[in-house]
Amino acid sequence: MIYTLRHRTTYRYGRAVRFARCSLRLKPMDGDGQSVLASAVTIDPSPATAVIRRDYFGIEALAITLDAPHTAFSVEALSTVRVERPAPPPPEAGTPWEAVRDAALASHDLAGAAPVHFLFPSGRVPLLPEVTDYARPSFGPGRSAYGAAYDLMSRIRADFRFDAKATTVHTPLAEAFAGRAGVCQDFAHLMIAALRGLGLPAAYVSGYLRTVPPPGRPRLRGADASHAWVAVWCGDGWLGLDPTNGCAVRDDHIVVARGRDYGDVAPLDGIVSASGRQRLKVEVDVIPETEAGDAAQGLALVG
Amino acid sequence: MRAALAADPEPGEGPRERVARWTAGYRPPPGRPDEFRGPDGAPRGAWPRLLDRLGALTEPEITARFVSAERHIRDAGISFRVAGDRQEHLWPLGPLPLVIEAAEWRDLAAGLVQRAELMEAILADLYGPGRLVAEGRLPAAIVAGAPDFLRPLHGVAPPGGHYLRLYAADLGRGPDGRWHVLADRTQAPSGLGWALENRMVLARTFPDLFQDLQVERLPGFFQTFRDGLALGTERADPRICLLTSGPYSSTYVEQAALARYLGLLLVEGDDLVMQDGRLHVRTVSGLKRADALWRRIDADYLDPLELNPASRLGVPGVLDALRNGSLVMANMPGAGLVESAALAPYLDGLCRHLTGAPLALSHPRTWWCGDLEGLAHARANLDGLTLRPAATPQRGAGRDAILAASALAADRERAVAALRDRPFDYVVQEAAPLSTMPSWERGGDGLRLVPRPFVVRVFAARTSDGWTVMPGGFCRVSERDGLDPIEMRLGIRSADVWVLSDKPVEAPLIGSHAAPRVRRLGGHLPSRAADGLFWFGRYVERAEAVIRLTLAHLRSVGDAVGADISGALDTPAALAIRALLEEWASIRSAEMPTAALAQEALTGRDQPGSARAHVLAARRNAAALRARLSGESWRVLAELAELLSLDPDRPFTEAQLAGRAERALSQLAALGGLLHENTSRAEGWHFAELGRRVERAINTAGFALAFANDEATPGCLGVMLALGDSQISYGRRYMQGAALDPVRDMTLLDPYNPRSIAFQAEAITRHLADLPALVDDGLPEPQCRLSARILSELRSGEAADFDAVRVTALATDLERLADGIAARYFPTGPHALRPEKLAGLA
Repeated sequence: MIYTLRHRTTYRYGRAVRFARCSLRLKPMDGDGQSVLASAVTIDPSPATAVIRRDYFGIEALAITLDAPHTAFSVEALSTVRVERPAPPPPEAGTPWEAVRDAALASHDLAGAAPVHFLFPSGRVPLLPEVTDYARPSFGPGRSAYGAAYDLMSRIRADFRFDAKATTVHTPLAEAFAGRAGVCQDFAHLMIAALRGLGLPAAYVSGYLRTVPPPGRPRLRGADASHAWVAVWCGDGWLGLDPTNGCAVRDDHIVVARGRDYGDVAPLDGIVSASGRQRLKVEVDVIPETEAGDAAQGLALVG
Repeated sequence: MRAALAADPEPGEGPRERVARWTAGYRPPPGRPDEFRGPDGAPRGAWPRLLDRLGALTEPEITARFVSAERHIRDAGISFRVAGDRQEHLWPLGPLPLVIEAAEWRDLAAGLVQRAELMEAILADLYGPGRLVAEGRLPAAIVAGAPDFLRPLHGVAPPGGHYLRLYAADLGRGPDGRWHVLADRTQAPSGLGWALENRMVLARTFPDLFQDLQVERLPGFFQTFRDGLALGTERADPRICLLTSGPYSSTYVEQAALARYLGLLLVEGDDLVMQDGRLHVRTVSGLKRADALWRRIDADYLDPLELNPASRLGVPGVLDALRNGSLVMANMPGAGLVESAALAPYLDGLCRHLTGAPLALSHPRTWWCGDLEGLAHARANLDGLTLRPAATPQRGAGRDAILAASALAADRERAVAALRDRPFDYVVQEAAPLSTMPSWERGGDGLRLVPRPFVVRVFAARTSDGWTVMPGGFCRVSERDGLDPIEMRLGIRSADVWVLSDKPVEAPLIGSHAAPRVRRLGGHLPSRAADGLFWFGRYVERAEAVIRLTLAHLRSVGDAVGADISGALDTPAALAIRALLEEWASIRSAEMPTAALAQEALTGRDQPGSARAHVLAARRNAAALRARLSGESWRVLAELAELLSLDPDRPFTEAQLAGRAERALSQLAALGGLLHENTSRAEGWHFAELGRRVERAINTAGFALAFANDEATPGCLGVMLALGDSQISYGRRYMQGAALDPVRDMTLLDPYNPRSIAFQAEAITRHLADLPALVDDGLPEPQCRLSARILSELRSGEAADFDAVRVTALATDLERLADGIAARYFPTGPHALRPEKLAGLA
């Protein structure tokens, strides 16, 4: 499947901002069943400096500075991506989770994609005993890592309520867990904490989800917005699981970046010299090639 | 000497008997190495020599020296804070140093240098090619699991070529009696400043002993360390900054002492800004380049953009200056990685591999539970081991939750649970109690020595060719058994560390560097320091105004010039004083009885406008300026605060309060004198003076509105003169009672009266002219134009014109002038633009 992606972010400030320093992580990932056919970013006002940087995990970030006073700042990323992933394995196939855990720990690989980096607590994913205990029932002795993780994902989907009002981007994991509600970010962080608590490497994936609302069926949540899910290390590679929608990741998910948690992959992150208020607006369109011809009608704006 | 001997509680006791009495009951616990007595009970090392010298002093003499040492510590404001506590505690220095002999020290120093080099080599590999992990010499999980493995720094070559410029190690003796490294400190080691302060105090307390025992001196090391901070900077005369963790951190006092001693610019994150890829300091002369940064904050807080986004202590984008090589940093961010306890089992192997020699200094035996052997050992021997987090220092300061695998069932359960899901997060360590050293304690029958657990921190500094070890250290001793002296807190004393040379020592005992470059100015003043000095001046002046106003009420002031205030409470003058004190929030209500009102205005704890509150605010501002204020100023401030601290539940009489107020005024005069006579006329002085002058002008305008308005009675005018300390000049000049225009002229317009507004305006204009301009275009800056206008109005005005309308306008202009000074010189003040995170979620 080929997608055209449009991700437009606009900040409006109460008072002029004199200086800003930002990192943009908006270019979809190349590899792992995806290839980027075209990608461009438009920034307004034009940045004073712009440097492309690749971080330890291989995530490409555009580091920019703005040094002229401005009251609005917008970034629009346009990409065309081909997604062709193999079908996910049947849930109960694959290496037992204990073996996956021991192998990840014993590995001599410290490269960015190595599973060992995803074993430990990170800024937004503390390891909490109550979350580890929640995960435990899915991890019977000898069960395959993928099968156990799939089961955990299904339980999260069943036990937790999607509620955009329940949390904000800063809500700590413990609070989201206790409230049994949140958005895709919370679902992903929770599942990652659960897996890491048992010694299994798990990563946070940011990206987009194609919206297919068939008549009479519920609409996939997180539609036409930036989305987040989980990649689980299964011994020989990463497999994607989407706890918000309770499904394995295949061609409807477009990966932008994979990191330890939201902090590593935030699409737009930065610091401005400001004293006033900020207003943020995000618009995302995910347009499959089949609809590209009549894109005007297919547009679903999420603000 | 004879007189002192006569006062001896044990007359006729000789030095030898005295030492015998001190040490008679000295018995180290069995199985624990002790500094003074070997396993056979015989005295060890240099201790007999030290005790012989001390024994020559009588106990009253020794006591007198302790007392004088404590007075020095109090006067110099040497204090520490327990982490997370606002209260400062007096620095607890034990009089007995840790002594180490030359030969033992040489081996120890060689071992430390080897360890520093090993840590440097490990860091260079882990942040570079990564061979140690790839070749299986070090598990990847130990590196990846360390919070101080800072991935944004991977592949960034340290500017100047070194990850470490200061290495420290905490030492104690192992069960074998040899020195063991209890923890390696590579992140941002503290303690150098305490070592320096301890030495300065003991050098005053026992000056003769340093010569007799040939104690190695410290200044050479500090010079070397400072030179090491500058290695690899781009400019020949680099600006070196000490990035402090802030006035409320537990070690701020030592950071300020070091900045002062080493001549470094003490800065906070807000003082620094990245521009054009380089780090700059915001100063009152604009942005000035920073070439080297000695950070005393953990690396994670350095850059909210690339590291911990919640940090308010750092500088956004500062990592860029490391990437492009324009900033030297000590130590390189990420250097804390090698503090991990889990490295311990691998260090000897890494040392053999990287340096070709075995590790000279050992450490407590440690097993990482992430490998099967370690885990099996941990499970089998849980009772005899200590379980600790793998990624923090072996013995951490506070943040290191230690699970002691004690006999307690609950602890044991916690340990077993910890090892079930994620054993690789832990190490187990041989549990050995700390070794002991003698501590002097006072019992009923005089002094005696007792063995107490201790830890000593030693330091090594990078030089242009290798490492130099400081011949001394920072020692912490418990005041009782079972208290771990791993960080300074209550119940822990510090001690100086004396390394004894085997040849005479020539260098000066304390004192400054060998050959500093001569300069007259201390470099550019950071904006935040200027802000602090300005407010320091304003608060001191505010305190004075409240005290003068209170005193005017307490005293019968009318004698010379008018007499309606004495005693009576409902005169216009008395009512006006009370109204003004209420307006200033110095008192709760203008209706209180005189004594209660005066006590509250002077010492009120809940009144934001009491004299006490202003003195404390001045002291808070001064606390952030310890590197710039003289020790005497600090002492006077402490005495002022003391004078104004009265028990609110104990009423004082009017006479007592007037006495206090008068003494407080004398102290304020002393403070003014110190600022005037003992402070360099560099930029900092201008700001303290500007604060005082602006505040005095504003207060005098307020006084004029209350006491020299068109309805003013002679009594009010008398108060006006008293507030400006001008009764005597007035009496001499006019030989008659107070009249409105002469009083207005003298207090507002007379440029010869040091308390008039005109005098303040002239001083302000001069100070502003002496401060640096931002742009060299010859045009006056806005605050200079405003002060010139105020001054010309005062110069050209006549007393009769200064009615309430005119004085109110003048007061408004003065407030605007204060704001203008703040806007120009303190752009990081409360109204300034601060860096804000972009709101998520994008």
